[in-house]
Amino acid sequence: MDFAAVCLMIVLAPLAAALVAGLGGRYVGRAGAHTVCIAGVAISFAGSAWILARMLGGAAVFNENVYTWGVSDGLAMNIGFLVDRLSALMMTVVSFVSLAVHVYTIGYMRDDPGYARFFAYISLFTFAMLMLVMSNNFLQLFFGWEGVGLVSYLLIGFWYKRPTAIFANYKAFIVNRIGDFAFIVAIAIIAAYMSSLDYTEVFQRIPRAIGHDLFLTPGEPSKVITVICVGLFIGAMGKSAQVPLHVWLPDSMEGPTPISALIHAATMVTAGIFMVARLSPLFEMSPDALHFIVVIGATTALFMGLLGLVNNDIKRVVAYSTLSQLGYMTAALGAGAYGAGIFHLMTHAFFKALLFLAAGSVIIAMHHEQDMRRMGGLRKYLPVTYWTCLVGALALIGFPGLSGFFSKDIIIEALHHSRTEGAGYAYWCALIGVFVTALYSFRLVFMTFHGRERMDEHTREHLHESPWVVTAPLIALAIPSIAIGWLTVGPVVFGDFFAGALAQAPDGPIVVLGEEFHGPAAFMLHAFGSPAVYLALAGVVAAWYLYLKRPELPDRIAARFSRTYRLLVNKYYFDWFNENVVAAGVRNFGTSLWKRGDETVIDGWLVNGSARAVAALSAAVRHVQSGYLYHYAFAMIIGLSLLLGWLLLRS
Amino acid sequence: MDVMPMILTMADVMPAAAEIFVAAAACVLLLVDALGGGRARGLAFVLAIAALAGAAWVSSTVGTDGRTVILWGHFVADPMGTVLKLFSYGAAALTLLYSREYLERRDLLKGEYLVLALCAVLGIQVIVSAGSFLSLYLGIEIMSLSLYAMVAFDRDDGVAAESAMKYFVLGAIASGALLYGISILYGVTGTFLIDGVAFAVAQGRAPDIGLLLGIAFIVVGVAFKFGAVPFHMWLPDVYHGAPTPVTLFVGSAPKIASFALAMRVLAEGLGGALDAWQDMLVVLAALSMAVGNLVAIAQTNIKRMLAYSTISHVGFILLGILAGNAAGYRAALFYTLTYVIMTTAAFGVVLWYSRKGFEADALDDYKGLNRRHPWFAFVMLLVMFGLAGVPPTVGFWAKLQVIAAVLDVRLTWLAAFAVLMSVIGAYYYLRVVKLMYFDEPVTAGQDESRFAVRLVLSLNGLAILALGLFPGYLLRLCEQVLR
Amino acid sequence: MLVAILFWAFSAVLVGAALGVILARNAVHSVLFLVLCFFNAAVLWLLIEAEFLAIVLVLVYVGAVMVLFLFVVMMLDVDIEALREGFARNAPLGALIALIVVVELAYVLWVRRLGVELPGETAPLAQGASNTAEIGAVLYTQYAYPFQLAAMVLLIAIVAAISLTMRRRPGLKAQDVSRQVSVDPAERVRLVSMPPEREP
Repeated sequence: MDFAAVCLMIVLAPLAAALVAGLGGRYVGRAGAHTVCIAGVAISFAGSAWILARMLGGAAVFNENVYTWGVSDGLAMNIGFLVDRLSALMMTVVSFVSLAVHVYTIGYMRDDPGYARFFAYISLFTFAMLMLVMSNNFLQLFFGWEGVGLVSYLLIGFWYKRPTAIFANYKAFIVNRIGDFAFIVAIAIIAAYMSSLDYTEVFQRIPRAIGHDLFLTPGEPSKVITVICVGLFIGAMGKSAQVPLHVWLPDSMEGPTPISALIHAATMVTAGIFMVARLSPLFEMSPDALHFIVVIGATTALFMGLLGLVNNDIKRVVAYSTLSQLGYMTAALGAGAYGAGIFHLMTHAFFKALLFLAAGSVIIAMHHEQDMRRMGGLRKYLPVTYWTCLVGALALIGFPGLSGFFSKDIIIEALHHSRTEGAGYAYWCALIGVFVTALYSFRLVFMTFHGRERMDEHTREHLHESPWVVTAPLIALAIPSIAIGWLTVGPVVFGDFFAGALAQAPDGPIVVLGEEFHGPAAFMLHAFGSPAVYLALAGVVAAWYLYLKRPELPDRIAARFSRTYRLLVNKYYFDWFNENVVAAGVRNFGTSLWKRGDETVIDGWLVNGSARAVAALSAAVRHVQSGYLYHYAFAMIIGLSLLLGWLLLRS
Repeated sequence: MDVMPMILTMADVMPAAAEIFVAAAACVLLLVDALGGGRARGLAFVLAIAALAGAAWVSSTVGTDGRTVILWGHFVADPMGTVLKLFSYGAAALTLLYSREYLERRDLLKGEYLVLALCAVLGIQVIVSAGSFLSLYLGIEIMSLSLYAMVAFDRDDGVAAESAMKYFVLGAIASGALLYGISILYGVTGTFLIDGVAFAVAQGRAPDIGLLLGIAFIVVGVAFKFGAVPFHMWLPDVYHGAPTPVTLFVGSAPKIASFALAMRVLAEGLGGALDAWQDMLVVLAALSMAVGNLVAIAQTNIKRMLAYSTISHVGFILLGILAGNAAGYRAALFYTLTYVIMTTAAFGVVLWYSRKGFEADALDDYKGLNRRHPWFAFVMLLVMFGLAGVPPTVGFWAKLQVIAAVLDVRLTWLAAFAVLMSVIGAYYYLRVVKLMYFDEPVTAGQDESRFAVRLVLSLNGLAILALGLFPGYLLRLCEQVLR
Repeated sequence: MLVAILFWAFSAVLVGAALGVILARNAVHSVLFLVLCFFNAAVLWLLIEAEFLAIVLVLVYVGAVMVLFLFVVMMLDVDIEALREGFARNAPLGALIALIVVVELAYVLWVRRLGVELPGETAPLAQGASNTAEIGAVLYTQYAYPFQLAAMVLLIAIVAAISLTMRRRPGLKAQDVSRQVSVDPAERVRLVSMPPEREP
């Protein structure tokens, strides 16, 4: 089998499945829809795994165009695939998580009337994400980028009869538009300066952009490469939910839980991280952009984690933890430790999907109750969910030996050693973040599974473990959450796994850390000498004390620090600001345009005016188109004589 | 001129095998119909389709990469000709397929109809492969005569007869103008052969004033066949008056012939005198786009609306031709081929929707189509998007290409005008979409058509989208045949 | 010299007759003027030694086509006055356009001489040369393709004319003996069983 065929199969199988389930949902039925979609994604996964195996076996990088969509003014617009270890890893992670979610959905959405539609959406989502990941050029990247955005809009608003879901999907769509605008502007600048959209060619032509300045504001030159990188990163901020474009992500919990897992764990939100890593040769050229990235990432990591402390909705807590973890990844990228960012992305994909699905399992058991204040003591009713969730939480906080421990510790160390401006700030944010992460994670575990049973009688009577389609993916995800870090940290981060795929400064933090790395066991021992592990344990203990030992204490603290508490509950007033200042301002602006511009000028003068003009004109033409043969013949002769006369006069 | 031997061998006429095949098929069909009487209708229909398929096979078999001139220069076989012929067979076959039920219901499906249709195809083939003005003219007459008769085919319909009469008389005037132009060209260059005229023009042996006069008359003839303003008057009346299958026939394959006519005469024969005809075409194109789009807005009959839309599209095709370079011709070819695909689907939907006693030609008949027949409403939506030039469809690429071609020759104002006109045009195309999707249905109709028709019509509609998403193949094809 | 005099004389009659075709008030007169046109044209062809074409023109057009025309015009009883309605209204504009076209053509032909040197006297044909044979020779070789195409045009004309005119009119009173003989009683008589009428 050749790579091109396998690549095509990987992307087209979910697309075909989506089309069958989406357009033919009525004919294939529910079982047909999920069979087709699962088969499609399974094909993708098998293909991705095969490619990853070949890549690990030392296969050469595959970079080929399969179709030229168009050529305009020398700028080729191709559909092509770039498969190296980075994309092979991403493909495998994406298709694996997607497969798990597909299976899980059978149980979760069993009674939903939009069953086939839902499967069509998630398969389509997988298609778009794979196109994004496998692309070898900016245009296809943008296609996948927008495809992912579109399907996420559809999925968040899946229950389109709920006003809150509609609000949330609008919000996600509009906030992403802001990022995408900067993204496409950056691509346009790339096309303008490098005359190509192909990654390889663009990387070769980077020198063309260096030394040029753009004047975004009069009199203040900005380096072209910095404008490109910041533009691309703003796109990533939208997709990967970085401050201040993070506001859509918590609201996106309005969608069904499998979507929360799919979007927030493996796919859409990691698109930004992946993109920055993929384009690392560009970012390496711009220290200013890296400075921007590391500050944004670290801020997100700490401050979004704090919000997880005050939320009571189980899914929202997980969502805020995702935000915070994305911040870690972004900070790693900003520090120049691209491998560490991708590594955390991978481990996070497993344990975050696990946490989401566990939360979903709890929600199913609780009959779609999501408020943790009405849970408690679920451990004995949902043993599988409890144990897998505990694994997820331990991985998330970086418990030594679990996957999250390796990835997060490397990021913290990388920040410590990074020479990017602002890395010091980022280091402290990351360290405090570890404590916060442990606190909110175990707050979730304790409030849900331990303590007093706070649900009503009716719910308690019906509590039972979820069906196997729900628990099987949980177990399947729990295993890599435990082991994947230990097994892969050496080769993936410090080995030459990503050699050639990611840019690497010769004195970058990974290189520095790599010199001290002597296998995972040694790394673990070494970590006991650093504060991160103790901060994590402190967080767990604090959670135990606050939520199990003295459950009345949190309320007292909230009352004591009411101002801080209000700030957190109101999410730093981002939403308030957006709704009352940004949205209102835009609305006022729009209204004035509508009243003055649209109604007066366009409707009044142009539309109605031109309609009147057209009506008058067509009346005139009707007069000419009289139906009389001799009129027609006459018109022809007149036309002939005029043409002739004009020609003769000209000659 | 006398390079050919006096005795023709089989090999000498092989490149014209497809023409001979179609002419023979028409005669066979005539005999089958005459001998079989009314019983052989079904057989005749199948034979007609088979004849077109056979012609396609012959054409693709004898088609060559290079340019072959036979029959003392009267016949030219080249890749462009092969492609244009193949598309004409396809368009004609689709037309017949879509028309069958309509004609059966109105008792119009007679052997003569099919014979005339095949003869029209023969005329198109002759025009496409014309190597001399003589064969060009005869091809036009073969095609036109068949079309006149087809327009009048429903003898009990007064409107159809009237429009056939108009078509006939105006066509005769246009033929007269064309013939006069050809005779003047013969006078100043001493040859009927297109290559000979091109040679004379290139050598500067043809005097300017005589050439100009000849070109002016020839452009009138070409403009009439296209239906460019101000030689368009027949078009709305004929489209409106003719039975819908004939409207479809007139609207599809003959457009390919018009393009071939323009290419053979203007690009190949008079390419050296570009300055003389470019400005004329600029005027014709601008007027066509303006009149076509503006007047289409006022129409309430979909056939008439599509007639004016045709006029506007002719303006766009002329844009490509008047650019006068390879890129422009290529763009015009692309536009013509895609336009034929789109217009075939458009009338295909009209035919599919019409019933006995219900012509489905008023715009109001399409109100709420989506409610009753969502799939064909979607096909019609694709067609309308395509005609309007909305991006995912192939219509966008077609417009983009011709406008780019015009920009290349520094006719910026014309390009801007074309863009403006396509914006205005979008209004009436999208109005159809609005009627279909947002209005309450007023007329009922059952889907009684055959499965094959529904399938082919669906594929026809989806082709508009598929070619829009993957235009590369067709673009490359146009590039290969027009180097 | 004699040829020149004959040329101008017949040409003048030709133009006059052509004007007569379009200006005559009676359709039959128009047709007869057209016959005159053809005769004069035939004479002009004779003057350049194209006897075959001249004779064919007279035989085919005058002998067959125009006689047919005459029949048609007489049978149709065309109301020529009705056709002329509106003539007066459109006449000025029509005349103006016609004038413009004529001036344009005249300018090109006379002032600019069409840009070509007009040939002088042509040499007379060699003794015994047959232009019938010459025409035949090129018609079946060099112009075989256009000739065949012309034949197709005629075929189409025949098919079109027949299919558009030959038909069975609805309501035509014609006798079909075979149908009368082979009639089946069941087609003609319908037996209806009705309940007996009830007393009121």
